[in-house]
Amino acid sequence: MKPLVTPVDNQDSVAVDFRPADADSPRDLPAPARFVYPSGSQPLLGYTIKRGVGHGGFGEVYFAVSEAGKEVALKLIRRNLDVELRGMRHCLNLKHPNLLTIYDIRRDERDDTWVIMEYVSGHRLDEVIAAHPQGMPPDQVLAWFFGIASGVAYLHDHGIVHRDLKPGNIFCDEGIVKLGDYGLAKFISCSRRSGQTESVGTVHYMAPEIANGRYGKEIDIYALGVILYEMLTGRVPFEGESVGEVLMKHLTAEPDLSALNEPFRGIVARALEKDPAKRFQSVTEMLAELPRPARCEVFAGPLPVSGHDRELISAGKAGETGLPQAAAAAPAVEQEPIFMAVRALFRRACDTWRRSPFSLPTKIALLVVGAGVLLMTSNAWLSVLIFLVMLYAAYWVVRAILTAVLPRSSHGVGTLPPTAGLEAESRGQQAIASSLASTRGWPAKAPPSARTKPPERVGPRFPEGENEVLVLGPLRERWTQWVGSLVAGSLATLTMALVMLVLNGFRDAAAEPELWSLAWWSRYAWLVVVSLSCTWAVLTVSKFWEAGPGDAMLRRFLLMVVGLGLGLVAFGATTYFGVALNHDPRFVQLLRIRPHQNLLPTDGWVSAKYYLAAFATLFFIVRWWRLADPARPARMSLWPIIVCVFVAAVTADLWGFPQPWLPMVACAASVAVQLASPWIHPRDRRWQKV
Amino acid sequence: MDRSFGKSGRRFLLWIDAVGGFWVCLDDTVVLGQPDPAAKVDIPILGDLSTQHARIRRDAEGYMIEGLRETRVNGRRAEPWALLGHGATIALGETVRLLFRRPLVLSATARLDFLSRHRTQPSSDAVLLMAEACVLGPRPTSHVVCRDWPCEVVLYRHEGELFCRVANVGNSPGEPPGLPTEAVFEIDGQKHRQRGQIHPNAHVVGEGFSLCLEEI
Repeated sequence: MKPLVTPVDNQDSVAVDFRPADADSPRDLPAPARFVYPSGSQPLLGYTIKRGVGHGGFGEVYFAVSEAGKEVALKLIRRNLDVELRGMRHCLNLKHPNLLTIYDIRRDERDDTWVIMEYVSGHRLDEVIAAHPQGMPPDQVLAWFFGIASGVAYLHDHGIVHRDLKPGNIFCDEGIVKLGDYGLAKFISCSRRSGQTESVGTVHYMAPEIANGRYGKEIDIYALGVILYEMLTGRVPFEGESVGEVLMKHLTAEPDLSALNEPFRGIVARALEKDPAKRFQSVTEMLAELPRPARCEVFAGPLPVSGHDRELISAGKAGETGLPQAAAAAPAVEQEPIFMAVRALFRRACDTWRRSPFSLPTKIALLVVGAGVLLMTSNAWLSVLIFLVMLYAAYWVVRAILTAVLPRSSHGVGTLPPTAGLEAESRGQQAIASSLASTRGWPAKAPPSARTKPPERVGPRFPEGENEVLVLGPLRERWTQWVGSLVAGSLATLTMALVMLVLNGFRDAAAEPELWSLAWWSRYAWLVVVSLSCTWAVLTVSKFWEAGPGDAMLRRFLLMVVGLGLGLVAFGATTYFGVALNHDPRFVQLLRIRPHQNLLPTDGWVSAKYYLAAFATLFFIVRWWRLADPARPARMSLWPIIVCVFVAAVTADLWGFPQPWLPMVACAASVAVQLASPWIHPRDRRWQKV
Repeated sequence: MDRSFGKSGRRFLLWIDAVGGFWVCLDDTVVLGQPDPAAKVDIPILGDLSTQHARIRRDAEGYMIEGLRETRVNGRRAEPWALLGHGATIALGETVRLLFRRPLVLSATARLDFLSRHRTQPSSDAVLLMAEACVLGPRPTSHVVCRDWPCEVVLYRHEGELFCRVANVGNSPGEPPGLPTEAVFEIDGQKHRQRGQIHPNAHVVGEGFSLCLEEI
């Protein structure tokens, strides 16, 4: 099938190439022209046309497949367009990842010229810009811009000026930016100079000196500035009703850069200088002023057609690959520098330890020896450590008060505002949605049912400050979970109490009641009852708090009240089981504030204050609900147990509560809570905005 | 050449000029997997997949996916099966990611877009799981959004055959869509008014649009 080539009048190719400044109303566009060759035709031997892709400045572009199945783009250059192809030859063998590869140039039987090029399946930059009418996210802008600029730098390095840089010539293929129409552009500019109206589409990117016939590489720098501006704001810097108006603005008007942040503002200003000599003298110089993009790849997923779809796409994408947008959305949580430094040091030490060349038995031996040395010398360093910790606590409190009182410092000049892009994007969504609604009169249709639900995100916990909560099962399921966790918690507590008492018996058999004696059983009963009450209390309270973030101070206060109740339970258990909570003098008192008491069942209400104070403090300091958080990093981790035991030891010292009872309770409870409370694997977690 | 849509091989490529290429499946049950001429794979995806990786079923209730190999929907395992709702992310194997959408609530037709860098083989831009009808047009809720079209093209099934209906939509921004006016278009050079039957290799051309079907 060979259709006749019908001359297409110039109006068509002009109109299609023209992207109006107001991208919100694409409907103002005339209908796209027909393509000369329908799907299935073979104008060029060996290639079957599948579909028309678009209309370039000088002809039609088709998607075609070779006999073997190679996908190519075919650009038809009509013979009625007087194009000198000889000059294109040296562009044929250019190789750069950011340049669209030209495979060959061929002539068909009709003497039409075909350029056989790499086919890119991704988006054109102008489509991406149109999908973000309020500007693209800054990290995407950088990723695109670095790709474009690398391609242009390569062309300049080979003595070629692109001359026709515009979003309609820039593509993305599997995340890699591809520059098209280089080499060909030269001849388009020729025809432009000869007064043809083809220039109308690219006039927005045209440097002022082109009016004087100057075509240096500065015109590419100027176009890069325009494209950068357009990607950031969604608009070109100079808009106008007519070609003449836009050209006049290029020559005389100053661009409005108020919408740009540094460092973009300065860079765009310098690239858009009217005098070519004042612009960046090379693309490399321009790139040097920009921050490096976090990822070199541009977003290659489907473009949103409405705000709703954008949410879907970004939600899906963020869940799968952790889009930089999500990272940018996390506000910079102000961290305490000393804590950060110590933590970093600790992590580095852990890392070094893990990579050390010692074998496992050696490591264990080293650990045992190290622990022994530390224990033996504990008298010397423990008090220093306690002193430092208390000093740090005082500093922390002062700092917390100061940061709460003083206003937050704003981000310094020269940094990218992390949330600006997102805000712009969400505004963009609204803009798209409302413009669609107003121009199309389309909101009559019921919105998709999913829209009523806030988008869900899959993945591990986001940094605190995100207004997101974990998606949990229905109430009934949670209720069953809670009952199950109580049972599991009791089993864990029974075991833990047994293990601890047996181990304690080994330390000094003489001082301890004989194993399985009545006195031993009453101690066991005391430990079980108190630990179990603590475990159940934490499990129950955490069940109400498990979904999401809450005010930590309020939770601590409530837990303190719970702790008072648990103190009473412990006091009651002592009296009921007739256990003598004797202080084991081998536990060195670290804080010599008040001497340790021996709490005997006969003491009566006089001793209750010790229980109340110790348990309330323990429950106020430790954030117990985190042990039961279904989104905790791991089901069972050692670190929180160590913290609990340590806090319990210090608390007991503080109030003179006999050792080692409180640490034993804390240990049993922290283990049991972690074991018993539900935990969701990070990959199955789903988050919901509140 | 069999010029009708029979019981078997009910899928075709839809080439829309200036818009894209779409892989259209008409069956209620389709198999996704690695391209393999021997195996019956309705949607062959050039990815790290098994030849029979997952099966998508459509019934009166909606869509569900049966994971035959490692399959996840919104991060949750989809073996043996999971429901597919608008906006669901389907993960096949380690790397293939698809976005499932039903752009038009009233239509059971769904669309699969690639979130990862994979394509069907031979390549297309998206997959359409066509139920009774499939809408191509400028509206954002069309199954295929053709931004610059002045009209709406509906492909629909009737008694086992495929038909095409073309309607102009409100052209100027201020004008509500209102009642569509009838349009004249050509199928393989033959003029049609309002509607016409199409065959597996039809070429449809109208005011401001052109599209072509190709048998797979």
